[in-house]
Amino acid sequence: MASITASSVSFPASCPLKQNQVSDLKKVSLSFSRKSFPSLRFQPSRFRIACAAKPETVDKVCEIVRKQLALPADSAVTGESKFASLGADSLDTVEIVMGLEEEFGISVEEESAQTITTVQEAADMIENLKAKKA
Amino acid sequence: MRCGQVRYQLGEHREMELENGVQRWIVDISNWNPSPHCFSFAMSFLPNHEYSSITRFVELEDQKRALVSRLLQYALVHQVLGIPFDEIIIRRTPEGKPYLVCDNMKLAFPNFNFNASHHGDYVAIASEPICLVGLDIVSHSVPKNETAYEFVQNFSSYFSSSEWNHIMHAGSSDEMLHIFYRYWCLKEAFVKAMGTGVGYKLDDVEFHHMNWNNIFVEVAGKELKDWKFWLLDLGRNHSVCIARGQPRAATTSYRTTLKQIKFDDEEYYHGLHLPNASFTFRTVEDLIQVIYGADQVPSDISTKFDVSEDEGCERARFVQQLG
Repeated sequence: MASITASSVSFPASCPLKQNQVSDLKKVSLSFSRKSFPSLRFQPSRFRIACAAKPETVDKVCEIVRKQLALPADSAVTGESKFASLGADSLDTVEIVMGLEEEFGISVEEESAQTITTVQEAADMIENLKAKKA
Repeated sequence: MRCGQVRYQLGEHREMELENGVQRWIVDISNWNPSPHCFSFAMSFLPNHEYSSITRFVELEDQKRALVSRLLQYALVHQVLGIPFDEIIIRRTPEGKPYLVCDNMKLAFPNFNFNASHHGDYVAIASEPICLVGLDIVSHSVPKNETAYEFVQNFSSYFSSSEWNHIMHAGSSDEMLHIFYRYWCLKEAFVKAMGTGVGYKLDDVEFHHMNWNNIFVEVAGKELKDWKFWLLDLGRNHSVCIARGQPRAATTSYRTTLKQIKFDDEEYYHGLHLPNASFTFRTVEDLIQVIYGADQVPSDISTKFDVSEDEGCERARFVQQLG
C-alpha cells in the first residue's frame, strides 16, 4: 500500500488573524479514524484552514504524548508525529485526549477527538477550543 | 470489487474445508530479539510496499509487532488459501483494516476474512471462512502515572452501566484492571470485526457472560444472536478475544472488500457454529519458512544469506537448517 503522509494545511505561526476570529476562518483538515491509518480520501464536507498553534502548545502536547507513551526523552516527537506511529493504541489515544483536556481546561467531543491523529492536530484543536471559550 | 459468489453444498468434504478456514495463530515476540540485520532479513520476505508501514514506527518494539503482524498475514493467506506468495495482495481500508484482495475466483471459502492484533508480548491473527472475525489482544499493564482507579475512570464513557458496575465492584485494584481490560478487549474485537474505528458508541454495547464464558452482546438493549465471542487469558497478564459475526454488520468500506455478505440462514448458522480453533503458537522462523517455501523467493535472497558470527541471530541457524 502506498504510504501517504497526511498533514493538515497550516499557515505560519505569525498568523495575521486574531484568536477571536478563529471561528470565522475556513479550515482545511483531513478526517481520520482515531484508531489507525489515515483516510485515503478527502471528505469534502470537512474542509477547514487552520492557523498553526503556538509553539508552546505544540511542545506541551509533545510532553503529554511522550509521558503517556513512556517514550525516552530523546525520542523524536514533533508536530508531525502521528500518535499511532509513536506506538499509541486505542487506550493511549483516549488517555492522551483526557490528558489534554485536563492540562488545557477544555472539553473535547468524541467526534472531534476522532479527527486528531498528530501532535499538530491536537495542538490546533486545543487552540481552537480555548479561543471559543474566551 | 466483489468476486462472484461460490455456491457450496454441505458435505463432509466441504465441512473439513470450511474448518480449515478457521485459523488462530499467535507469536510471542518477547522471545524474538533480532539484531538490525536480522530484522531487515525478516522484513525482506514481505513485499516492498509494506516496508514503510513498518519503519514508520518510532519505537523498535512497535516495528517488531508491525513486522510480525504482516508476516502472519502473508503466511496465513499463503498456507490456507494456497495463493502463490507473489500474487497475494493485502490492502487496508481507510480505517486501517487489512483485507485480501480476492481476484482469484478459485478461493475455497465463501467469505474468507482475517484480523490481526498485537499488544505487549503477543501478535496474533485469526481467520474465518464465512463470518466476520475480529481479534484483539490486551496486555493487562499496570498504569504508571496514576492509580488503577484513576486509570479506568478515563474510560467510563465506553462502558455500559452493568459493565461499569462489574469493574467498580472488583475486590482489588488488580482485579479491577483485569475486568476492565477484558471488557475493553471484547469491545475492541467487536468493532475490529466490523472494521469501524473506536468511534462506535461503545456504551451502548453491553457484554454479558458467565465468568467470561457464554459471552453474548446486547447493542442498544437488543441481543445480537448472530454473534459469538470467546475470551482467553494468555500467560503474563494478557487476554485475547475473538469476535465472530454477521458480515452485513461490516462498515461500508470493509463491506466492499468482502466476497459474500448475504447468507441464507442455514449456511450462516453453520458458519457461526464452526468450532473455534485453539491458538497455535508460531515463531518468526516458522512464518518465514511458510513464506520461503512459496514459489516466489525474493530475488536478492542470496545477499541475505550472509552467515555471520552473530550468534544471537536466529537467521544464521535458520539458514543452516535450510542447508
